[in-house]
Amino acid sequence: MSPLIELNNISKLFVTEEIETRAVNQVNLSINKGEYVALSGPSGCGKSTLLSMMGLLDTATTGSYELAGVNVSQLNANQRAAIRNKKIGFIFQSFNLISDLSVFENIMLPLTYQKGLDKNQIQQQVNQVLAKVEMGHRKNHFPSQLSGGQQQRVAVARALVNSPDFILADEPTGNLDSKNALAVMNLLEELHQDGSTICMVTHDPQSALRARRQVEMFDGQIISDSINSLSVKAKVDSSTSQVSIA
Amino acid sequence: MSIFLDIKYAIRQLFKTPKFTAITLFVLVGGLTISLFTFSFLYSLIYKPLPLPGGESIFRLSISTNGDGRSIPAYELLEAKQGLQSIEHLEVFETTDFRISQQDVGKTLTGTYVENEIFSFTQTQPILGRGFTPEDMLSSAAPTVVLSHSTWQREYSEDSNIVGKVIRINDLPTTVIGIMPQGYHFPVNSQLWLPLPQRLKSLTADTREYIQAYGRVKPTFSKEQAELEIGQAMDAIYQQTARQFQKPEGKLAATLYTFPHAQTDGDGNLVFTFFNLIAFSILLLACINVGNLLLARAIERSKETAIRAALGAPTNRLVLQLMWEGIIITLLGSLLAVLLVSDLLDYTDALLHAEVSENLPFWWRWGMDVPTLLMAIGFTIVTIVLASFIPAWRSAKQDINSTLRDGTRGAQGKKAGKMSRILVTVQIFLISTLMLIGSISAFLSQYLLNMDTIEDYTRVIHGGIFLTDKNYKTPEQKIRFFEDFYDRLKRKHNVENAVVRGYFGTSELVLDGEDSGAQNQFPKIDTMSLIGNTEFFSAQLVEGRHLDKRDNPNAPKSVLISDSMKKRYWPNESVLNKRINIRLNDKLHSVHIVGVVKDRLNESSIFQGHSSEDEIYISGRQFERSYQRIFYRYSGDVTTAEESFYQVLFTLDRTIEPYRVEPASKNFDMMKKAMVMTSYITFGAGGFALLLALTGIYGLTSNTIAQRTHEIGIRRAVGATDKEVIQMLLKQGSKQLAIGLSLGLFVFTLISFAFHGFTDGNIPVVLYFVLAGTVTIGLLIVVLAAIYSPTRKAVAMEPNAALRYE
Ligand SMILES: Nc1ncnc2c1ncn2[C@@H]1O[C@H](COP(=O)(O)OP(=O)(O)OP(=O)(O)O)[C@@H](O)[C@H]1O
Ligand SMILES: [Mg+2]
Repeated sequence: MSPLIELNNISKLFVTEEIETRAVNQVNLSINKGEYVALSGPSGCGKSTLLSMMGLLDTATTGSYELAGVNVSQLNANQRAAIRNKKIGFIFQSFNLISDLSVFENIMLPLTYQKGLDKNQIQQQVNQVLAKVEMGHRKNHFPSQLSGGQQQRVAVARALVNSPDFILADEPTGNLDSKNALAVMNLLEELHQDGSTICMVTHDPQSALRARRQVEMFDGQIISDSINSLSVKAKVDSSTSQVSIA
Repeated sequence: MSIFLDIKYAIRQLFKTPKFTAITLFVLVGGLTISLFTFSFLYSLIYKPLPLPGGESIFRLSISTNGDGRSIPAYELLEAKQGLQSIEHLEVFETTDFRISQQDVGKTLTGTYVENEIFSFTQTQPILGRGFTPEDMLSSAAPTVVLSHSTWQREYSEDSNIVGKVIRINDLPTTVIGIMPQGYHFPVNSQLWLPLPQRLKSLTADTREYIQAYGRVKPTFSKEQAELEIGQAMDAIYQQTARQFQKPEGKLAATLYTFPHAQTDGDGNLVFTFFNLIAFSILLLACINVGNLLLARAIERSKETAIRAALGAPTNRLVLQLMWEGIIITLLGSLLAVLLVSDLLDYTDALLHAEVSENLPFWWRWGMDVPTLLMAIGFTIVTIVLASFIPAWRSAKQDINSTLRDGTRGAQGKKAGKMSRILVTVQIFLISTLMLIGSISAFLSQYLLNMDTIEDYTRVIHGGIFLTDKNYKTPEQKIRFFEDFYDRLKRKHNVENAVVRGYFGTSELVLDGEDSGAQNQFPKIDTMSLIGNTEFFSAQLVEGRHLDKRDNPNAPKSVLISDSMKKRYWPNESVLNKRINIRLNDKLHSVHIVGVVKDRLNESSIFQGHSSEDEIYISGRQFERSYQRIFYRYSGDVTTAEESFYQVLFTLDRTIEPYRVEPASKNFDMMKKAMVMTSYITFGAGGFALLLALTGIYGLTSNTIAQRTHEIGIRRAVGATDKEVIQMLLKQGSKQLAIGLSLGLFVFTLISFAFHGFTDGNIPVVLYFVLAGTVTIGLLIVVLAAIYSPTRKAVAMEPNAALRYE
């Protein structure tokens, strides 16, 4: 089976006011369908950058990226948007809900950019995910009227509404207290059980351990990649960052 | 110390965003320049005092009967003048054209007959020679003249020995006694000054001479007291003479105006207010735009402001800190605007003086002056308040807690967004109205410029002549004079054709058997007398014959009628030798028609065909008129041709002062030039207003969109395509466009109805739709482009960057 995500020698270079930052440096990573991956590492090591490239929110400076067998580095903006719309769900640390839209409208958003869906279908799908995150009683509220945990549950619901192949979460519990964090982690767990592929950035070792696979980054490179809590240290080939599991 | 830091920070901000700074500066400089220029131009035109020592206290006399202005009766004024208590130096003058001849060529200049104290009254002495003495005023004195500096310069090449030389003025050898300093043309646009003729000093009660006067109110009297005194004194005399000599009835009242006020006929206040209001509203638009740009900036910094406030900064410090950018940019804009206006004023002054210099009142000089500078300071303060203080104050008074907690610009951004949408709508409304009105006036001026006036005014000179009752006592004498003039002029070798025309206004056509006293029921028909031939005005004969020598005082009265008139009243019969009755100046005349001529354009038929109004031509040998105009077509050069007029005039009567002897096309050309210039200015200002509105719309839209960058990032993250994002934003912009445009079209419809009535419905209705359609489509494209371009930019960045955008 070919992997769902296949990153080959991906690098990202930021150039601002003559300062060059190599946020991601020659990363190779493949994720199979149904995997639950936790990405961790110190602040500024390039986790968010890598995740946004995987989610087609940003393009790599060099390297190639195959998503479900398609080389996405070749796609134009509209094709990339279509993939984000149908195949990917995002959860951000800062929720990123639109403050002018109600809970319901926020969740509905990805569906409004799909063709051929009728109103009933949309309503049904939204209500379904609302129930899943237990936010049905708040669907006409606006984000500013919700607590942080509730906002993040809405954000999770929005990530699910299009039944994506692949969920990307960037520190989904970073802004939450432990109780709310737990709720969100449980939700992700559930999704994983249902067969979703998940890649989550997290600082929290506790959360990381809930994933089956742990990837660790340092200074733009992947320094370890282990399955479960076996925590197998990887040997890093210094020239290619090739990770091999011992 | 920290204020310096604030200023330094503000300057750095301005440099960091050069595009923002440039747009803001452009909008400000534009708004300030338009309003300042309008103010300065109109102020000089309407309110600027005479540039003479004590000029502001010089008054010009104006007389009215029952509220209607009228000419000042000379006899009454000169009689009343003697015993006045409240006025110092009430002096009379008469402005007229003078002919200065050198051999066969000459030049017509505006000059003034004056009393001897004019130069001491205006506290200005000649730079060469002397002014008038009481002796110069005597009828026995040798004729003398004082010349203006520009006449001396232009006509006599600044000849330093000019004083004492003899020149010919109206064919009379006259000694030059003095030259006035440069720029002195008191009372209005005088190029030379001559002693008041004896005729005007020894008038009798029965004369109908008119005159003008100026003076100063004595310091111990008020202007109102002086007006009352003169008015009563003149009225007392007038009531006596009026009864005796059948002058028009009515009570005389006097008003004292400053020269500038009198020049603009008292309509100055209205004109000044109206145009300044329009210009000021453009400044207001500019302020709103700039204020909004600065408010957006302040909102971007609302978090910083909230943190400062949380740390205990007092509100006024915060406001000031937020204002610095606006203050710096406004001061810079004002400075640039003042420099620009100063240049524009100099240019206007040069242009107007090059075009029509000798007809302009001498105090109409444009340039940077104290009132304009004071106004510039006023406008600067208004701008700082509107564009800097209000946004800063609003931003500083935000709810600190919610800003700090929310972390986003939510609430404030939302308010500002709504505000800016309203402003965009208002701007679209204003600009569409402006453009629609502009398109009508552009069409109108094109129509008038290309109007088919069948009269051919090339190589035609005309001049007016007024015969006084005193010198030409009987109608026969007047007819004789004009006939003589016509015959002699035609005999000149360079005169090809000529015609003498007297305007009679309208006469009433009294139709058969209907003269039963029911007045005002009869058709009113434009009527003029001619010595000569209607073909001079391109009205060719259709049938019958032209008026000629046969139609003299001893013969039965004959008329020509226009083709349209024939067709209107006698469509099925021959009119030749038909007898009709016309009422002319309340006198009934029985006349017979000797010919029918083609229709010509007349003033009441500008928007209709030539046939819409009728004309009657009567013989100038049978009907007398004191004032008539002589038209003639010449060959050779124009100055010799002009001179021919004066030669004929001076052989007949040297005492007559002709009125405006000039090429007939001059007026038309000047009107054309004025119209072209006005449309340039209108187009310039209108174009700028359009640019201003567009920059405003662009600025407001791009700010709104910048504030929504984060939202756009989210939408794109969940899969919205660029096209969908752009469509969404354009759709919202279209809503404002639709509202603004419909309001504009509504106003345009109202104006069109008024205009339709004004032009007698002669402009096809479809044209209004074409104009409205063109403007609508034009605006649609331009405004959508102004909205589209920042939208395009919003989707150009990677969604990831948009999500990080704060
Ligand atoms: N748009 C950008 N322009 C310039 N540099 C950037 C940009 N985005 C990220 N960087 C830099 O790239 C590096 C990696 O950033 P990234 O956000 O991926 O880190 P991170 O691992 O997610 O850190 P954290 O755990 O703190 O979120 C950082 O040094 C950051 O400064
Ligand atoms: Mg991060």
